[in-house]
Amino acid sequence: MKPSHRLGFVLRLSIALLPAAAVAGVPAERGPEAYSQAVDGLDAAQSAAFLRGRALFHQVWVVAPSLEHEVEGLGPLYNAFSCSACHPGNGRGHAPDGPGERMRSMLVRLSVPGHGPHGGPRPSAAYGDQFNEQGIPGVPGEGRARLSWQPDVFRYPDGSLCALRRPRLQLTELAYGPMRKVQTSARIAPAVYGTGLLDAVPDAELLTLARRQRPDHVRGRVNLVWNAGNAQMAVGRFGWKANVPHLTQQVAAAFLGDMGITSGMFPQRNCTSVQQACRQAPAGRVPQLDPKQLADTAAYVATLAVPPASVPSDARGEAAFTQAGCANCHLPELHVADRHGASAGGESVIHPYTDLLLHDMGAALADGRPDFRAGSRAWRTAPLWGIGLAREVDGRAGFLHDGRARSLEEAVLWHGGEAQAARQRFVRLSRADRLALLDFVAGR
Amino acid sequence: MDHKRRSLIAALTASPLLAHAAARSSPRPVVVMTSYPDEVITRFQEAFERAHPGFALQFLWRMPFDALPYLQQPGQGGVDVYWSASPRNFAALAAGGALRVLDIDRKDLPARVGNADLADPQGRYIATEMAAYGFAVNPAALERLGLSAPEDWEDLAAPALAGQIALPDPVTVGFAPVMIDIVLQAYGWQRGWALWSEIAGNAQLTGHGGSFVTDLVGPGTLAVGLSIDFFVASAIAKGQAIRLVYPRHTGINPAQVAILRDAHELEGARAFVAFLVSPAGQRILRDRSIRKLPVRPDAYADSGVGDFNPFAAASAGGLAFDQKLALPRLGLVTAVFGQMISQPHAELVTLWQRAHAAQAAGKDVGAVRALLGAPPLGEQEAADGALQAHFRRSTEGAAVPAPDAVESAWAQACQKRRIDARQMLEALGA
Repeated sequence: MKPSHRLGFVLRLSIALLPAAAVAGVPAERGPEAYSQAVDGLDAAQSAAFLRGRALFHQVWVVAPSLEHEVEGLGPLYNAFSCSACHPGNGRGHAPDGPGERMRSMLVRLSVPGHGPHGGPRPSAAYGDQFNEQGIPGVPGEGRARLSWQPDVFRYPDGSLCALRRPRLQLTELAYGPMRKVQTSARIAPAVYGTGLLDAVPDAELLTLARRQRPDHVRGRVNLVWNAGNAQMAVGRFGWKANVPHLTQQVAAAFLGDMGITSGMFPQRNCTSVQQACRQAPAGRVPQLDPKQLADTAAYVATLAVPPASVPSDARGEAAFTQAGCANCHLPELHVADRHGASAGGESVIHPYTDLLLHDMGAALADGRPDFRAGSRAWRTAPLWGIGLAREVDGRAGFLHDGRARSLEEAVLWHGGEAQAARQRFVRLSRADRLALLDFVAGR
Repeated sequence: MDHKRRSLIAALTASPLLAHAAARSSPRPVVVMTSYPDEVITRFQEAFERAHPGFALQFLWRMPFDALPYLQQPGQGGVDVYWSASPRNFAALAAGGALRVLDIDRKDLPARVGNADLADPQGRYIATEMAAYGFAVNPAALERLGLSAPEDWEDLAAPALAGQIALPDPVTVGFAPVMIDIVLQAYGWQRGWALWSEIAGNAQLTGHGGSFVTDLVGPGTLAVGLSIDFFVASAIAKGQAIRLVYPRHTGINPAQVAILRDAHELEGARAFVAFLVSPAGQRILRDRSIRKLPVRPDAYADSGVGDFNPFAAASAGGLAFDQKLALPRLGLVTAVFGQMISQPHAELVTLWQRAHAAQAAGKDVGAVRALLGAPPLGEQEAADGALQAHFRRSTEGAAVPAPDAVESAWAQACQKRRIDARQMLEALGA
């Protein structure tokens, strides 16, 4: 899909929401359905697309050949058989508790040193760019990803303690031979609500932000990535390393990488040259996801509303958030331009608490796997809107790219690199101010 | 934390441990074909693999109409266990010799509830959970309309509910055919179809890929929705301000499990089947995202007041629905509904509104009612084995085939009655 098409649709919705991504009429502002409401103001056609997309998001895909041609084509190698399996309640995934538990809403990206086509990661010759643990009958899954944890404790200057855990990844039961010099990056599934609004932030906004001088030597960088829709390089904004330029590509890439479902954007099956059974498995229809299904699924996630922010009981948390320097990267406001004149015109504002840019987050969070311009230590600033409801939607939801953080506090304590100064200010706050800051974040 | 960071980096950037040797202790795969949604699959998979780390479940997902031919192919497609809510498939597979006799402990599992079998008399499949049929009601919406909650199916025909009911179309919604037959059995063939016609006249039809009943009832867009209970119970557990009302006449639809004749991993298959009906497996059914009815009576020991207990309901005579009568004719019943109600639905709504208005004006609309509510064939004809077999093609979830000659004839008969009804209404000045 060309950018103008996606923006035309999303922007109309976006402007209807503004300001502050209001979600008037949404009945479930909290609880398990907090991320499952449609934005207000959808017309009949958009509502119908939302419902079709919702059905597709929950659809369990079927191994070909099947009598259900419209949903056949799972695999041959895959991680999950539906979108919702990894994004429970449209929220974020979680990491396993230990090596005996499967990764259910988490995956491992793979690459080897060097660059692939278009400057992105270079896939493993035998395993590709994503470790697919599952295979359809007759096609061995690639192996088992096992995550174990090393416990740690952080002590604040005031004596308070916070338990942390550090991940250790093992890839076992490898079905296609040993891996050599492989770079891995374990990642939980991100939340999908609000992505339509992030998609509608103009590239120019991100480029301007990347040039802006900020305190604490914070300097956001734009990732420049491959746009499979128009075969050009583009500004990245989705994915933990901002390695995807737009929402439709994000959806299509997830269909292929996570479920093995091909589309017009990604027509090649996810089998490497050594995976013969995978290559020979029946494909069903080609591509397996038709353009309307892709558009409906993208429309669904694009129109999932952001839960409304809560009104803080006092200004203490927001003041601490700002004074600590969190807002240097977690920008309270981004602009969404009504370039298509669909609504009020001019510019409007959303409140995602991100700059969508890459930042050096320090060695502790480094994954050792570059992705386009994003180095090992670089991660995109995570949006904070709605984040406080994550565990109401799914009780095991994790934070940070690999789900190591079980709370927002843990997530803050893992910050380093450009965020080190802000982290240090957070650490030095009184316990009451720390809690106020975390409450403020949870209420975004 | 610096030294800790250094060790973390080392852990993350080192090549992952390569563990071919670990393959020796790999869990043994148990291949399970199912049509459950991913929430159900995930919860049971997590719990089973934690309880039985020597086995790994591999799920193959197929809608019932798609599952049957898959399981009938040579070698049964490598499947060990079939686990699904499709009584028709289990009956067909058992009849075809495709299932093994289950050799698990069943002493705490009743063979029947009400008129429904919970186990194959020959022991080739057993029920793992049940679902009953009921009404999702929005109390606030009903209050706005000045109505009380419906208590049984005939209450849904009240003119005051015009435009206020969400009715899943059995032609496209897999769970709905049994619901149609519950009413036909409870009220009799003729009266049952008349009720469905009038209820549909008050209703919006919902279908596959569109709005859920709870989408419409939850926010109060509509006041009442007809549904299988777990959709409603799950929506309530997730915070929707609706209630679930079980009508006096309801029935249950069991989901079942069986081990395939050609199963490779018999030990794992037995372990999974036993887990499903164990106290631990049955507890999972109460999860907020699942909300199915256990088949173990002891699972209801901690039920709260107002919780539906099918064993208690059966004791009170409320589960008279005869599954054995329903199963052979479900395809036919669905086809009749399609031609009599789904296809002409918009026209039917208008005619019922006019009939209700005429009745409210004191006019005799008995003949109009008779025309609009008459099915295109009688119960005796519908009991014809060949005719039932003709419509058995449509198992749960199958694509809607083009109407054939039989259905076209039904459609014409129904159309003529609607034309006659319209003329009568015009003659009445309605």
